[in-house]
Amino acid sequence: MKLTLNDRLFEVPDGLTVLEAAKRCGVYIPSLCYHHKTGPAGKCRACLVEVEGMRGLQTSCTVQVREGMKVVSNTPRVLAAQRLVIDLLLSSGHHDCLSCEQNGDCELQQAAYYLGIERPTFRIDEEFKLDSSSEFITKDSGKCISCGRCVAGCNKTVVNEVLGFGFRSGSTEIIADDDLPMGSSSCVQCGECVQLCPTGALSDKKAHGQGRYWDLEKVDTTCPYCGVGCQTTLHVDRAKNRIVRVTGREVSPNQGMLCVKGRYAYEFPSHEDRLKYPMIRRNGQHVRVSWDEALDYTADRIRTIVAKHGPDTFSAFGSGRITNENNYAIQKFTRVVVGTNNVDHCART
Amino acid sequence: MLNQSTIEAIQRKAATYPERESALMPALEMVQRENHNHLTRDMIRDVAELIGVTFAKAYGVATYYSMYNLRPVGKYHLCVDTNIPVYLSGAEAILTHLEQILGIRVGETTADGLFTLSEVEDLGSCGTCPVIMVNDVYYENVTIEKTDALIASLRNGVLPDPVDESYYGTVCSILLKNRGTANAQTLAVYRNRGGYQALSKALTIPPNELLDLVKHATVRGRGGAGFPAGMKWGFLPKNDPRPVYLICNADEGEPGTFKDRQIMQYDPHLLIEGMSIAAHTIGSRKAFIYIRGEFEWIARILEVAIEEAKTAGLLGSLDIVVHRGKGSYECGEETALIESLEGSRGCPRIKPPFPANVGLYGCPTIVNNVETLSCIPYVVEHGAEAFRSVGTLGNYGPKLFGVSGMVNRPGVYEYPLGTPLSTVLAAAGGVKGQLKAVIVGGLSVPILTASEAETLKLDYDSCIKAETMLGSGGIMVMNESVSIPRVALRSIRFYAHESCGQCTPCREGSLVVKRLLKGIVDGHGKTEDIDTILAICDTVIGSTLCPTGDAWGMPIRAMIRKFRHEFESLIR
Repeated sequence: MKLTLNDRLFEVPDGLTVLEAAKRCGVYIPSLCYHHKTGPAGKCRACLVEVEGMRGLQTSCTVQVREGMKVVSNTPRVLAAQRLVIDLLLSSGHHDCLSCEQNGDCELQQAAYYLGIERPTFRIDEEFKLDSSSEFITKDSGKCISCGRCVAGCNKTVVNEVLGFGFRSGSTEIIADDDLPMGSSSCVQCGECVQLCPTGALSDKKAHGQGRYWDLEKVDTTCPYCGVGCQTTLHVDRAKNRIVRVTGREVSPNQGMLCVKGRYAYEFPSHEDRLKYPMIRRNGQHVRVSWDEALDYTADRIRTIVAKHGPDTFSAFGSGRITNENNYAIQKFTRVVVGTNNVDHCART
Repeated sequence: MLNQSTIEAIQRKAATYPERESALMPALEMVQRENHNHLTRDMIRDVAELIGVTFAKAYGVATYYSMYNLRPVGKYHLCVDTNIPVYLSGAEAILTHLEQILGIRVGETTADGLFTLSEVEDLGSCGTCPVIMVNDVYYENVTIEKTDALIASLRNGVLPDPVDESYYGTVCSILLKNRGTANAQTLAVYRNRGGYQALSKALTIPPNELLDLVKHATVRGRGGAGFPAGMKWGFLPKNDPRPVYLICNADEGEPGTFKDRQIMQYDPHLLIEGMSIAAHTIGSRKAFIYIRGEFEWIARILEVAIEEAKTAGLLGSLDIVVHRGKGSYECGEETALIESLEGSRGCPRIKPPFPANVGLYGCPTIVNNVETLSCIPYVVEHGAEAFRSVGTLGNYGPKLFGVSGMVNRPGVYEYPLGTPLSTVLAAAGGVKGQLKAVIVGGLSVPILTASEAETLKLDYDSCIKAETMLGSGGIMVMNESVSIPRVALRSIRFYAHESCGQCTPCREGSLVVKRLLKGIVDGHGKTEDIDTILAICDTVIGSTLCPTGDAWGMPIRAMIRKFRHEFESLIR
């Protein structure tokens, strides 16, 4: 499909919105309420453009590209509209980039940079609420732009149905359940809202002050907690050799979603009690051994016990932290090799 | 815990809707009513569980609509409208007087728990203001003396019967033909005067022919947009398996507008007949009247009339449900109205898709204004040509003009579209003093100076030529005593209060403009503030998700452009 964007001709696939197409063509249009997982919302109004043949300005997140469409995103009129939106948002909140966790990874900051807004122009008197009642998530209404991505994500993507919009007009805010502190609400702290938030309004509490976005090394990996195999990015402070933050990668199988463990229980790799090698207890002391020795010892003990006392003296306990295939092998081994049905699993209850 | 009878009442109400969530607002209302007009957090939770919505959704709804009281209120909740028409008639004096005699400020409750005083936005009593709403009852045309008498009566535990006094007039005798007739709201009187003959006739005509008839008559939407109803109906998809819904927009929230209540209160069967014909034409079996919650007594009149018509077998298979709003101007916008009817916050939807294709419950839906639907019986009974013979080219039929502000006989007057403004003002008893400015289409349209208004004709196209809009036909008249900057400030206070809050330019822009105008009116503004306001208005117009950005951008800009010297004179 042919699309003319700021006087340049592009060929784009069918079925895209103007905003999606512009992104593919490498043309930046400010946008805040749109996220590909939550879909177009058309309400931040930051992505306004002119479309030939359409009256007034259009939100590029809601308009589908049509063959031969001509779109302009850089006329004085468009830029004035975009600038007003971003200026109003900056004016209405408490956007202190210098101390904000999201600095360097903030869509509002990016839009302000693109539009050349150094300081907000207007003054809007509002009261802000900082909710740090939750163990892992900080909710700061001073940085909230009411884009609704968190609400859409909580209700439609992860379907935890905790967040919603409360109150109205300039007092509109994101609420958890019936406006409870997040820590007392039914929130399970999956952190999808943090991942979707375009600003620092919802942030990972444990990561506060632990390193700037640009200083942290991003390491893509697979979550070790269960067999689903969620794809994650670890944000690593190499100097301290510590994981500071975990985000979900927007690829299969999890599309960015994580559970509370995958997103927030990331201290164990650098924990001093972490088991890193096999040990055998000798004379009351744990002694480090090789894998061969450990396995030989285990096999020998199983054989001896089963031979002496019968197979029902053996039982196997599977784990949620290994894969389904591993667990399958455990029960197969227990039933076929050992000859007992004593199989259990930590996630059984 | 909710008591069993309330639960049963809520379940019965829920059964009247195709989808259960629609009963959320009525359920909250029932529970509030039973708890001395107050909703607690536990009650909202109970309702959420009963209806089957999340706590956040129920709480979001309860905090969106201004008529839910999340704080306890007194036995008598006094709501004083101070919006523009009332402002022009001295509402502030009533409010100040109430503060004095009750010894409380706005928002407070007296120590004895008897009175809570609230300042509220437009109550739709523009021709009969000042107005005080006490719980469900409107006391109109109040004065300081009447206020004293009202409070004295309330102290004695007596909610007095309201006095129904208002001016009206008609030269068309189409929409207000039964206005002066006693008991015209009863089916017997309505039928004696020829009512429901149009419906009988319509039922003998195939829907496609009826559609052609209405299209040919060119009944332009009386709610404000002026879009032809027949053309709107024609947008419904053909051979679609989904049910079609008809919604009558009776939200009547545009300040300066009080016309639809004339029909609903005094001639409800006219609307019901119009809706029945429309439903037959578009193939709808389920229709709704979305009426603003403040009009509780009118909602009851409608429910009685619907029941009468149903019992008399006039509605056939059509079911009409009266659904009450709960205090939100935004719900007058058709997609916000649909959201509200579905049990959500009144935030407009992105268009397209338009309601004709994806509306209520995702089904094809037609939303028409009360007055628009009330024109339909005349079209069917007398023919399209008869309708077109009233009015001017392209602007056919009768129109209700609500005249408020500084005239001698404020009220609703029915004239053909295209009638000169001067004629309507004369019918309203003429201007008190010297005409300074007039807003002809409700608060959301650009103001006209006296000279601009001099030769204006009241129809959609003439108003556009005059760079304003006919809107809802709510005419607010201002004389030389009126300060336009104060009107501008009161206007933007209204929009800032009523913005649904979802889109940035409207939510935040209205707050900035309010702050700047307040500064100017209070005497600490700067000249550049005026230009900042103009720049914001220029940019907001056409930038918002729904027309509400335009609805304040255009009038505020016009007030400043046309009366800039008044703003400048306030700057030291």
